[in-house]
Parts: sequence; C-alpha cells; structure tokens
Amino acid sequence: MGTIDNRWRHGPTRRQALLALAGMLAGSPLLRAQRDPHPITGHKRVPGLDEMMTAFDFEPICFANVVLARYEYMARASESEFTLRRNREAFEWVDLVERPGAATAALQTSTEVLGIKMDFPIMIAPTAAQRDLHPDAESAMYQGASAAKTPMIVVGRSTIPIEKIAQAATGPRWSQFYPVQDLKISRETIETFQAAGARALVVTVDQQTDTGYERDLHNRNLGGTPRGASGGRGGGAPEQGRGGRGGGSAAPAPMQGPALYRVIPARLWYTWKYLDDIRAFTKIPILLKGILTAEDAKLCVERGFDGVIVSNHGGRSMDYGPSTLEVLPEIVDAVGGKIPVLIDGGFRRGSDIVKAMALGASAVCLGRAPRWGLGAFGPQGVQRLLEILQAEFLEAMARTGRTTLAALDRRAVRVNFT
Amino acid sequence: MSNLKVSRREALGSVAGLIAGPGLSGVEGPGLSAVEGPGLSGVEGPGLSAVEGPSLARGQVAKGTPPPRRPPRDELVNALEFEDVAKLMLPAAVYSTIAGSDRAAFDRITFRPRMLVPTLDLDLSVDLFGEKHLAPILVGPVAEQRQYHAEGELATVRGASAAKTGVIVSSRSSVPIAEIAAQAKTPLWYSVYAADASARKQVDQAIAAGCKVVCVTVGASLDAGRATSKVPADWKAVDRIRQGLDLPIVIKGVMTPEDANAAIAQGARGIVVSNHGGVVAGRAPLEVLASIVDLVGAKITVLVDGSFRRGTDILKALVFGAQAVLLARPVMWGLAAYGAEGVQSVIELLQTTLGRNFGMIGAPNLKSLNRAMVKVHAERKT
Ligand SMILES: Cc1cc2nc3c(=O)[nH]c(=O)nc-3n(C[C@H](O)[C@H](O)[C@H](O)COP(=O)(O)O)c2cc1C
Repeated sequence: MGTIDNRWRHGPTRRQALLALAGMLAGSPLLRAQRDPHPITGHKRVPGLDEMMTAFDFEPICFANVVLARYEYMARASESEFTLRRNREAFEWVDLVERPGAATAALQTSTEVLGIKMDFPIMIAPTAAQRDLHPDAESAMYQGASAAKTPMIVVGRSTIPIEKIAQAATGPRWSQFYPVQDLKISRETIETFQAAGARALVVTVDQQTDTGYERDLHNRNLGGTPRGASGGRGGGAPEQGRGGRGGGSAAPAPMQGPALYRVIPARLWYTWKYLDDIRAFTKIPILLKGILTAEDAKLCVERGFDGVIVSNHGGRSMDYGPSTLEVLPEIVDAVGGKIPVLIDGGFRRGSDIVKAMALGASAVCLGRAPRWGLGAFGPQGVQRLLEILQAEFLEAMARTGRTTLAALDRRAVRVNFT
Repeated sequence: MSNLKVSRREALGSVAGLIAGPGLSGVEGPGLSAVEGPGLSGVEGPGLSAVEGPSLARGQVAKGTPPPRRPPRDELVNALEFEDVAKLMLPAAVYSTIAGSDRAAFDRITFRPRMLVPTLDLDLSVDLFGEKHLAPILVGPVAEQRQYHAEGELATVRGASAAKTGVIVSSRSSVPIAEIAAQAKTPLWYSVYAADASARKQVDQAIAAGCKVVCVTVGASLDAGRATSKVPADWKAVDRIRQGLDLPIVIKGVMTPEDANAAIAQGARGIVVSNHGGVVAGRAPLEVLASIVDLVGAKITVLVDGSFRRGTDILKALVFGAQAVLLARPVMWGLAAYGAEGVQSVIELLQTTLGRNFGMIGAPNLKSLNRAMVKVHAERKT
C-alpha cells in the first residue's frame, strides 16, 4: 500500500524508521524463511464507500473486516445449504414483465404495515451477533437503517441492551423474540421490548433444534467455537449469536427422545398454545416468523395473529426446505389479505424486492445484506446499501410500468416455478 | 483451502486469493464467478477439498503437493466427507467400487415443514419383522469388505452395533458369517443373490449363525460378487431358495409395480426398492418408491436404497412410505477411513441429522409423516 514511502514523506519517527528497515530486511534471503508462506497477495486496494454500486460490492469488504469464523457463521446455512442456494435461484425463476409508461420520479412506493409508515416496502430482518461486524453492533445498524428511513426488527438477544439501542436512533422498530418455555421470563422479556418502544413483536417459530451449520463445525479447527456441539459429532446449537440470554435447555437429558439420537431438545417443545399464552399479555401486534406453508399461514389467521413472515431463516432452518419466493403465492392466497405477509431470504437487489411485491408480499426483510453494509463501513455502509436497494427498486418497478405498489400485481411477473 | 486444519493465517491467505480472483457473492456482482452466495468453493457443504485431487495409491505422494492429511474422525461433519478420506486410504481400483452418489432425485424434492408441532418425544424407532430398530436405518449388503479395511465385516458389525443399527451381511463376505455373527449385538440379516447357485446352502449357514431375515437380490447379473447389469428377476431361483424357510424373506432389487406384485406372489414379507447402487440407468429408486408403496405398502414392508447420504434424504423416503433405508457406500467410506469407529460415526451422523430434521419438519415419529410434507418438482430444463 505504499505506506513506507508515505511515512517518510511526513517525517519519520524512530519507530517508523525501524519499521522501514525491517521491511527492507524482510526482502533478504536470510529472513525469507521466517516469512508468512502464504502472504496475502493480489488485491491491494480496498474500495471506498462511494464506489459501492450494488449490495454485492459490500460483501468482500465485510469479509475482509470480520474474523473468519464469524464471517462463516453469517454466510453459511444448514447442512448441504441447498435451501440457502435455492433462495437466490428462485429469483431467476421469476421474470419482470416489462411495460413502458412509468417514470421513476412518478412512482408511489410508500406503504404501511401494522401502523408503520415506510417509504419503501423494505425492512431490516433480525439477525444475531451484530457485534461480530461492528463495535456498535445493533445500535450502528439502527442508525444506518433510520438514516435510510428503513424500519428495523431488532434481534431479541441483541449484543447491546435494547434500552441502549433504542437511544441510538429514532426510526420505527420492532423486536424479535425466541420463545422460552418459562412464561414469566417470556413476559418479562416482551415487556422490556414494549417499554423500549417496540411497535410489534416478531416471534421466530422455526429453527426448532440444532442447525448443523457444517462450516461452523469445521471451524472448531480455526479457533471458532462449535455452538453446543453434541458429542463432537452432532451439530451446532440453535442460533444464539454470542452471549445469548439462555433459552436452550441446559439440563442433561435422560436417554430418551431426542437424546437417543444426539439431537439437542432446544425448541422442540414449541406449541400454538404457548403463542396463545404470550398473546394474552402482549400489547403490540404479533407476527410469526418462519412460516412456509399455506396450512400454517391459515392457522396464523385463524388464531388471530397479526402478521406472518415467510422465512426459512436465510437457509438456516431446515435444509431442503423451499425457497421463500416459491411458497409466497400459496401463503398469500391462504391469508387472503386478512393480515400482512412479509418475506425474507436471499433478497439482494431491488428487482428481487419488486418480484416479491408482485407476488403479493406486504414488505421484504433483509438479513445478510445490511450486515455486509455494517461490516464493511459501519452505519454509513448500512445506509448506503439500503439507498442502493431503494434506487434499484425504483428502476425495476418503473420497468414494470406500474406506478403504485397496489398496481404491482402478479401480471407484472412471469413465474416459472416447477 | 488446501487443508482442513489450516491456521487462521493460512486460511486468510488462501481465502484472500479467492477474493482477488473469483469473489464471494457469486453470479451477480460485477466480475464475480459463477459460485452463488457464500459458496467459496462451489462444492456442496464445506467439503474436504484437502483430500480431493489426483487419487493416490497408499503411500504414494504426488510430486509437488504436500502429503495429504487424514483428518481426525470427529472433524468430519457429514457422511459425504468420509468418501474423501476413503479415497485417500484406498487404491484407486478398490475405491472405484464404492465411489460416488446420484443426488439428482433428492434435489428435486423439497420439504413443506410445519411449525409449532411439539416433537420433544422424538422417536425414530421402527418395527421390522418383529424386531425393534432404534432408527429406520440398516447397513446394506456389501461384498468383500476386507478390501476396504483389514477387519472387514467384523469392523462393520462392531461399528453398527455401537450405533445400535442392524446389518445385512452379504453372502460374499470376506469373513465367515459365524465369525461376523459372534461380534454382532444388533439384528443381522443375510443377503444372497438369486442368481447364485449356492444361495440356499449359504442361507442355511446364516440361519445357523442366527440371522433373522433373508434378503434375496434379484435382477442383477454378477461379476466377482457385484451386480453389473440389470436382468429380468429369476423368480424360479427365488422359489428354490425359499423352499422350507420359515424366516421372513425380503426381495431386493424391485423397481417396478410388476416385480413388487411378483415378490408378494413369492411369499415375500418385504421388498427393497433398489437399482443395485445405480448399476442400472433410468429412474432412481426414490422416484419409483411412492408408486410401489401405494401398490403394496399395505401388505408388505417396503425398504429402499440408492445414494442416501443425508438425514434429509432418508426423511424423504420415509415420507413416501418406506419403513427404512439401507446405507451401503457411506458405511464403507466410514469403514475404509476409520474402521469400526468410522462405521459408527457415519451411522450416528445420519441418525442425528434425521432426528434433527424430524424436529424441523414437525413430526415426532414415523407415523406422523405424510406426503403433504414434501413437494416433488419437475425436472428443470436449462
Ligand atoms: C447471522 C444471522 C443471524 C440470524 N439470527 C437470527 C435471529 O437471532 N433471530 C431470527 O429470527 N432470525 C435470525 N436470522 C434470520 C434472519 O432474520 C432472516 O430470516 C434471514 O437472514 C433472511 O435471509 P437473508 O440473510 O438471505 O436476507 C439470522 C440470520 C443471519 C444471517
């Protein structure tokens, strides 16, 4: 990076002079033997924030900034990662039907979901362990999101206390919640979120047990921690990020049920009844996140919940589950407009979001993409990334010739799911 | 990455090379490779690229590359990774007898997982011919196992017993059935080829050694004890083997409704839907399973084999109505790689991922599975 030259130009300190000398010596054959046998070569220059053109541009920079095992934790997914790949593939099975007649300036993209007004149907999905990406973690994400006028779903087990995150910015905010069997603890947690200003509660109902992120398991050998590996062979514990507030059952289980198969019992106890119980003391709307079938979506409506998020946890729940985009139509049809249907999973471009809106989504949540922004450039990165997606959304919507979200219907896309 | 156990610095070094080159995010970003998402390698799962590459005879080291490292057993996280280690351990000709998988049929089936179904009382057990099995998994018959590991079938049954799993012993075993049976703590079945002239004699020895079920493989022509091509099932030969036996008979190699009906007519209590590990081209066993279950599933026990490598693969067969799945090559990979302990690891990994996916799909046991839990996708033309 030419750093040695620059230092001389500004007048060397004793330390810098020594460093420069060391640099010269490093070229000698004597010292070569001591050198890193695998130097980082090739790409020398790190692009700046103003050079980011698409969401994808942020990922390599985030990658370079983040501890490898923690990058892998974010990027990877369950088992074969079939579902992780399928989430992205599904966008190739849906084409926008182009139609002239809409200028980007004339587009109406604002919407309202459960009382929250937003300029674009875009939100931040709840993701654990944001400390991996930036020292200000969820607070920095919230600042970036608010600067881009994007509502954020704050992860339940945030690495910064929710009260502190709440002070970092002013944009609309929901809180995510992983059920814990103890109703008293559930109530205390939910009341904390409400008191901190959460305007809805997102209850995650998928990822019922160990996730089996195979790369994470390998990373035991790269200094990563296997998350609750069972007997060194089973798999990682369900997502907790770091410093989770409990939740998984810690007591040694007798040899029956899941333990017979080295399966972590974790959240295998989930029931609809539990959700009815927490609804009794929850004062804000409740959305269920992780719904993938029309049958479950219908149950959400019948049992009086306020919204669903079609999600496979970014490929991190059941391997060989469907992509979210391909099941969106059946869920939208099952819900019949009675409650909002949000979706996440693999959204990286404005056109991806337009496709989901055309298939009937109420809004789209972004998981990994804003994490790339945060890891690459902090809150400014989050803001810039969201603005790029907003601009892309306008362009893609204009191509469909629709000027309002209401007009963006299924005829705006050609669907080739099998 | 050039090796599984790399230092962080090495990992960063090699990964940095990838950044400079093909990039991370895949198809879409400018100048990025065809690798989607985080798939740095493009290989399914994390992969053990370490032990891929030119296949080496034992003790031979390719010029210019560092000697391959055999990772400690518990570094491996899925059954497929055992294949890489097996390849490392075996001469190429031996490895070729257990190489590969056909994954296409599995990739055309996705799940429809149901949420909020409690599965804390998870129970994968299944009853087969009066015997309770911990999980719907059996080790399938494989001939001549000493070529994969010095202890051969003895290590296989020890590993399978440790994993509480039954084994189908091949009549072409490299260790006498009585010695194998002496090591087994789980039910043994015995497998003969209908085409084999000495089949009935072998069956009598196996019964004497305590085998509980006789599995007769039909429709395969033999070469050195291995199926090499598909031939019409020889029901007369089955009938000769069956005479006077009071053990349950299972016919292995059924791929059509006609053969399933014929097996019933022969008095079989079960069938294994199988194409002899892909020797026969055409539809995969998983693809014909549902129609065969519909036809005969109420009358006899339907088992299946063919490229089952993951817990989700097994779950798909169970959803279609199979009672259990046979694993052959993956168990041999475990055997070749680590002996009895490798066999145990492979089976336990599959039990665990199967159990985990019962939790994910919302089914506490085999009875709660139904076909609305999967979606079969048409082949995509590209
Ligand atoms: C690193 C990471 C951590 C996550 N943690 C949580 C979590 O704690 N709770 C939750 O409901 N979802 C969690 N998710 C899932 C996201 O909310 C979202 O469903 C998913 O990331 C969307 O897919 P995408 O990453 O492809 O956009 C996490 C996802 C990632 C990538």
